Amino acid sequence: MKKTNNLSVKENVDKQYTDKGEILSSKTNKPIGLAVAIAALSGCLAFTLPVHAEFNIPTENGLNPVPVPSPLCIGDKCAYEFEDKLLLFEEFGLENISSSDTSSSSIPLTFPVPADCDGIPNGDDLDDFLREDLHSIPTRKSDETDAHELITATNPWEAKVKDCLGLPTDMAMPADGRPTGEWFAHQRWDEFPAQAYFQSAQTGARVNGGLRDKKQLHEYKVGEFRAPDPDHGDPGGLYYVDADGDGKPGNEGLSIKLNHNLPTQDPQHVWTFDGTLPPKLLMARYGEAILFRHYDALPIDPGANGGFGKNTISTHEHNGHNPAESDGFMHAYFYPGQFYDYHWPMVLAGHDSINTGATDLKTGAPDGNGGITRVQGDWHETMSTHWFHDHMLDYTAQNVYKGNAAMMNYYSAIDRGREPVDLTEASTGISGSSGRLNPGYGCHYMNANNANLCLPSGSGLDWGNRDYDMNLVVADKAWDSEGQLKFNIFNTDGYLGDRIAVNWGYKPYVDVRARRYRFRVLNGSVSRYYKIAVVDQAGKVVPSYMIANDGNIMQHAIPFPNAQSTQAWPEQGIAERYDMIIDFKGMAGKKLYLVNLLEHKDGKGPNKVIPLADVLSGKYRADGKNGDPGVGKFLEFRVKGCNGTTTCSDFSMNPAEYQEKVTDPVTKKVVPGKQMIPLNKPTTQELKAAVHRSFVFGRSNATDLVPWTIKTDGGAGLPADPTRVSAAPQLPSTPNGLGKVEIWHLSGGLGWSHPVHVHFEEGQILKRGGIAPPIWEKYARKDVYRIGTLPDSTSNVDIAIRFREFGGTYVEHCHNTQHEDKAMLLRWDLEHPGQTLAIPTPEPDWDGVRYDPSIYLPTAKTGDVAAKQAFVLP
Amino acid sequence: MKTHSVVGSLRSLCFYAVFISAMLAFGGSPVWAAPKGSPWGKNYFPNIELVDQDGKTVHFYDDLIKDKVVAINFIYTHCGDSCPAETANLRQVYKLLADRMGKDIFFYSISIDPKHDTPKVLKEYAERFKVGSGWRFLTGRETDTTLLRKSLGLFRDGVEASKLGEHNTSFMVGNESTGQWIKRSSFDEPKVLASLLGRSLGHAKSGRKANLASYASAEKLPKMGRGEDIFRSRCDSCHSLGNEDGLGPGLQGVTQRRDKAWLARWIKTPDKLLAEKDPIATDFYNRYNKILMPNLRLSDSDVEALINYMEATSKNP
Repeated sequence: MKKTNNLSVKENVDKQYTDKGEILSSKTNKPIGLAVAIAALSGCLAFTLPVHAEFNIPTENGLNPVPVPSPLCIGDKCAYEFEDKLLLFEEFGLENISSSDTSSSSIPLTFPVPADCDGIPNGDDLDDFLREDLHSIPTRKSDETDAHELITATNPWEAKVKDCLGLPTDMAMPADGRPTGEWFAHQRWDEFPAQAYFQSAQTGARVNGGLRDKKQLHEYKVGEFRAPDPDHGDPGGLYYVDADGDGKPGNEGLSIKLNHNLPTQDPQHVWTFDGTLPPKLLMARYGEAILFRHYDALPIDPGANGGFGKNTISTHEHNGHNPAESDGFMHAYFYPGQFYDYHWPMVLAGHDSINTGATDLKTGAPDGNGGITRVQGDWHETMSTHWFHDHMLDYTAQNVYKGNAAMMNYYSAIDRGREPVDLTEASTGISGSSGRLNPGYGCHYMNANNANLCLPSGSGLDWGNRDYDMNLVVADKAWDSEGQLKFNIFNTDGYLGDRIAVNWGYKPYVDVRARRYRFRVLNGSVSRYYKIAVVDQAGKVVPSYMIANDGNIMQHAIPFPNAQSTQAWPEQGIAERYDMIIDFKGMAGKKLYLVNLLEHKDGKGPNKVIPLADVLSGKYRADGKNGDPGVGKFLEFRVKGCNGTTTCSDFSMNPAEYQEKVTDPVTKKVVPGKQMIPLNKPTTQELKAAVHRSFVFGRSNATDLVPWTIKTDGGAGLPADPTRVSAAPQLPSTPNGLGKVEIWHLSGGLGWSHPVHVHFEEGQILKRGGIAPPIWEKYARKDVYRIGTLPDSTSNVDIAIRFREFGGTYVEHCHNTQHEDKAMLLRWDLEHPGQTLAIPTPEPDWDGVRYDPSIYLPTAKTGDVAAKQAFVLP
Repeated sequence: MKTHSVVGSLRSLCFYAVFISAMLAFGGSPVWAAPKGSPWGKNYFPNIELVDQDGKTVHFYDDLIKDKVVAINFIYTHCGDSCPAETANLRQVYKLLADRMGKDIFFYSISIDPKHDTPKVLKEYAERFKVGSGWRFLTGRETDTTLLRKSLGLFRDGVEASKLGEHNTSFMVGNESTGQWIKRSSFDEPKVLASLLGRSLGHAKSGRKANLASYASAEKLPKMGRGEDIFRSRCDSCHSLGNEDGLGPGLQGVTQRRDKAWLARWIKTPDKLLAEKDPIATDFYNRYNKILMPNLRLSDSDVEALINYMEATSKNP
């Protein structure tokens, strides 16, 4: 950091900044007008007296080197932490695809057209449109029906687009934004026909019109979502919502605010699914193939974006075992007025080679009626917590930050989202009231033959109970003096907000019962990592257990704190998901907190872990001047008892029994614990035969001093090029092949941190920093691999990864999305057996998608031979 | 600003003070070319004064970027390796966009060494790279250009403040009228950059892409060797494999013409040969517009692969 010698200037500026820091970090003192006025004035003076703040948060660039904190007081209203209730995710809700299909109602609506070039469609019209059935039959190819007739549907916004952009009137403009022809046709379309669908439009912020109020599985009738019933003395569940207070349950009337005292976000600054809050959740079951029709209802004018974000989009289902055409390739984006059909088959990896008769008792999905629908594949590959988000070339960071991100829970026989109502049901699956045998309800902890792990969830529904199973997306945000979301597109090292939001609310609170909860914690930030501790109001660390890493349930539950992580959860890089169980038993009446301990100084990456005691005592001053404003408590739990008592019944899985080693209650000996999903390691033979590939993330050779690049297999450092295939692994050569295992070496860092994400298949960490990975990665299947210099990261990671079922064009990249957008991304193509053509590169434009030829790196097939020779198997 | 609180008023005052002074400084009425709500308009970019290679004085915002699709990089003309490679690569982009250059797309190479890079020096530099309309080479006061680099996010304090050789070789491409700006590196594929500038950023004025193929004509899986790969990514912005000259000589038969050891040394460390006043190297330098052959920091095996590739293609032209 450059120091100025001019002490008088420095003192002067420090003082101004302190004024501001004190005001803005104030928790108890209501700011007064004069003080705010000084703050405002100092903001003005800071412009004329540039110095370099140690904490560049929210991230500014060199022009305005003094960061301007996001104001918590705007006008005469102030936002305070732990004041607003946490928003719980709103389900998209799935509809059945009937064979006859498409709007059976008299005359279907057309996709509503915005009145202005910089506007979005009317919200009510959009809701009416989205309420109808699919407006055209989904097809395998985007340009041809399944009966081989040409599709000529035009973009319903055609006239408006041509008018706004001055495009030729005779230009053809297709409605379907998916690339034409065979390359982006849906793979195995007839084999995995879509059984359920949902549709949404990506559009500007608006008031929730209640579109999905009747699509929630719980229907606001069961468990903690049930409506109050004063006639019978029922106060209702903790999570019942009636946003507009009209007596009808749901989010109708909810506007987009980060706190009720902060302004409503305008349609240019925030873009989300439906254009509404709460953030959205897709609840999916294995074996039920999903079609997601995603409409682009963003402004036609690319500049109508509040300074950040792009109106063309591509949607990536993060870690889905999905064919490439539905993976959200960054160059398969689509335009306003268009839609893109994503086909997510919902099959387990190993579908073609393992349990092909679908006979295994643990391999299945909830059937909606207490039973298990068996599916093919390997139950060890069962996945649980995903998210899907924008993957637009150059704009992923901006669009995700702006709101183009949803979560997705996978439900399976193992992870059904249903816990038993009593121990009899847990043991036998026989439900007390009916005496009926429900094989999907029996718990593994009572009988190892039962598939259901009975993770904390609820029992009112057959599957997908969310009473005690909560999705949390943690993301740092910043806003301007008028309270509108802001982003600095000119700082490309990484962008940090100064305000931590959970599910889009600034430091909210949530009521919880005195029992076990499962939290599906997603780091949805652009560049910020977290290290999260759970503490009670006295500052004492409360135990928690990690059951799933990157959304994949592990072999063992990992207790926190533990010997390798003594205060908090491991660092959580961008896009990583940690499923954590916290037991609030015995804490009724108390408050607990999630606390972030990981300090950043600027967007380049995390700096260091701050001791918990210093954060809680205030010794660490997270005021933006002396410390990172993102450090500290950010979510408050308020613990309630049940039924007028301080206790609650709880028959969910006790994660303590699933630790690596447990003490036998009878013999008092240390014995191996129960297992959730045993890790299916590749065989030594497979590892020995593996193709190796190496990817070095970082600054490149001397001549490429500055730009971000990735070096593949010892080659030159290269920036992103959608036409270049850097690696070309192969699908199994026989239809029932197991899939080849490859070993990938990811490295980089040199003072920077990169959370590297590989699309399509999760991998297993063989070595981290050359040695065995820490306990929370030892039993994990990962899709984000942290490389860097933090305590829980290393500069290199070696992973084993296996490819099967679907092929095509995928990518791998740094998930610090500012690095990704600035070229730290590469394409790899998973080749079909006998493939002789290079998959060409889609080039989407308003008038359709054409293709450019693709090129292969010389090592795309062979990988890194030297790395293979040098690698010693663990 | 809807609020009437003290904060609001003071902030407005502060804002208007800056705004008014900007108006006084630039003259004329405020025309907000950047879209409504975008912070990246006239009030963001420093409207600094610059002089181009023809000695013409221009203002950065008003004359260079307003309502235009642009690529902006920062150079100094006596820079050894990165700038010539960078300029050569940008020249490839320029050629791909030739029919739109100077109409709706503009390139600006701005010197960070104004003491040395006078308009005259810049003029010579431009001539050496054989570029014409739509690409201006500019110089200005150092404090001004530094401010500009900061505004574009191409300046990091402490790293670049003093050393020319460590300047940021990334550059910005943008469309002022839509408020969209993207940082790119000159080592991006020219085709990717041309697509970004010509289509993605400028697609309101899209010239249509007749040269794109449909999926049916997808290419056979290309089998590219290491030498070809390096040649494509590092050499072909200046050299062809045939007889025709680019910024540097065509390379047909080069492996027969030259001694292998000399060729390897020239490819690997051209700067050394030039410093040693190697006669062949010096002759090239003089014949090819005094554009330095850059040291690309290639490894011995890279050089070997390149020579093998050039040899193979010379035999089978």
